[in-house]
Amino acid sequence: MKEEKPIVFVVDDDASVREALDSLIRSIKLNVLTFSTAEEFLHFKRPDAPGCLVLDVRLPGLNGLEFQHELAKSKIVLPIVFISAHGDILMSVRAIKAGAVDFLAKPFRHQDLVDAIHVGIDQDRVRRRTETILLEIKDRFALLTTRERQVMLEVIKGRLNKQIAAKFRISEFTVKVHRAHLMHKMKAKTLVDLVRMGDDLQAQGDVGVGHWHRAQPNSNFVRL
Amino acid sequence: MVSQDFRVTAVWALPFAAIALATTVFIADTITELEIACPVFYTAVVLIAARFCKKRGVVFVGLACITLTLLSDLLTIEVAPSQAGVINTCISLAAIAATTYLALKIEVEKEATYEARSQLAHVARVTTLGGMTANIAHEVNQPLTAVLINGNACLHWLDAEPPDLNEARKNITNIVRDTNRASQIVVQIRDLTKGQPPVSEWLRVNEIILATTVLIDREIRQNQISIQTQLSDNVPPINGDRVQLQQVLLNLLLNSIESLRSVAVGSRRLVIASAKSNSKSVLISVHDTGKGISSSDLDCLFDPFYTTKSDGMGIGLTISRSIVESHGGRIWATPNSPRGAVFQFTLPIDVRSDRSINKNGFRWENSSHKIGQDRAIADVHLNSQLNAP
Repeated sequence: MKEEKPIVFVVDDDASVREALDSLIRSIKLNVLTFSTAEEFLHFKRPDAPGCLVLDVRLPGLNGLEFQHELAKSKIVLPIVFISAHGDILMSVRAIKAGAVDFLAKPFRHQDLVDAIHVGIDQDRVRRRTETILLEIKDRFALLTTRERQVMLEVIKGRLNKQIAAKFRISEFTVKVHRAHLMHKMKAKTLVDLVRMGDDLQAQGDVGVGHWHRAQPNSNFVRL
Repeated sequence: MVSQDFRVTAVWALPFAAIALATTVFIADTITELEIACPVFYTAVVLIAARFCKKRGVVFVGLACITLTLLSDLLTIEVAPSQAGVINTCISLAAIAATTYLALKIEVEKEATYEARSQLAHVARVTTLGGMTANIAHEVNQPLTAVLINGNACLHWLDAEPPDLNEARKNITNIVRDTNRASQIVVQIRDLTKGQPPVSEWLRVNEIILATTVLIDREIRQNQISIQTQLSDNVPPINGDRVQLQQVLLNLLLNSIESLRSVAVGSRRLVIASAKSNSKSVLISVHDTGKGISSSDLDCLFDPFYTTKSDGMGIGLTISRSIVESHGGRIWATPNSPRGAVFQFTLPIDVRSDRSINKNGFRWENSSHKIGQDRAIADVHLNSQLNAP
């Protein structure tokens, strides 16, 4: 999969530190963008590329931890490496629990930061890849007709064509036709592929395949 | 301001007054008979001398007066000395000696008080800085972090194939800049904690203001205060103690910052201004848009142990006033419009005022301050600036 070059975002209110980080990150051949406040970063339209956020805990206005919370609320998923001039244990525990990659006390060893940035970017890459695949599955699922979806649900539950035909009061041949169509539309080569896709969709939650089947048997499939 | 000018002039005129009085007494003593106890008036000379001399000077003046008495006695001796005359002379000499002794004692007491108060000021200063430790540590740590990162980045650029000398040079330039920044902070702190006796030196008010703002930089940014320095270019140098004046400013600024914390973020404004208020003094003012001072507090703001803060000691402003007054200036507070407070103080430009700095020491009496002409000028001058968008 071809990707954009990763970008490291730096949010620190101190111009000297910002400048230094800018140079360091460029020296390890990564793109870098710096911001002096959390707001500035939030207003910036991020390009579609894997990234990592290097964040000072003590920012004027919104502090780093609140900012982390804010990002999570607005569904901006970006691995965060915290840097702090006087971080205490409580702070670092909170940050790590909320999903931070690392928590480094200033002045830190540059290698620690570089490592943390790489870990962050890798995390983001993996996440983006999974997300892309999931989006594709969702897109394919959206192409299915209501009946095909019903059939798919039964198939991934392990029901036989005969059972499915009986349940929907259609012929076994029709079930086979639906099944062939949906396998084609979902680009599933084997039954195992299809089951895995069904799992992914159900894990996502908001697709709600099973729920849909019980509650609204005849309505068109809903939100994706 | 009138009273202050008078005081400065008076201090300067005192030696002349003493010499004139001594001469008059000497002439009167010489031309009158021995029985008339003119030399008693030398005590006045000693008392005047005590106003402007240090210990040694007072002793010298006392001895000089005794010598003059004896000299004029020698000159008048041709008339046969009467017993009363001799007794009167002895009484006069005793009076001069006793006055000199008392004047010396007062001088010693004054010095002890002065010493104690300068130590108290030092303690207050260290306490203030103690409260700022976390911020100061952060303030020093920040440039150090930048230096460290720049150093590593520089190594990366040099190790690259081919080495990027331009980037490396930029790193090193930044290292120099950040190291200077860190050491500047360290120097400021060291000066403020040294606890040396106050010295009188030529100072540039604007430099003092800028040096002090270095220390509160973090507080300003952390509390999202918009700070403005309006430093007039034509402020003449003044004579005084750098550390003490910085202490006054630091105290006023920290008070303002604390008061600004209680108002909404967008409307936190702080203005530090310097100006030549008239031909005699420099005016330094700190304007904030904080919660302000109630009119009942305004009267006793500078009183010892009077505080409006829950964790305050009530000595910051008292010490500030002592320092300003010992420099021959005045300090006062007014409400700011539409909101907040203005603290201003004047420092005399006059070269001669330096003599009065250490002599007068600290003053603690609770005097109400007359609002001078300079204040009116300053209010007009600065309110327009603060209300500007």
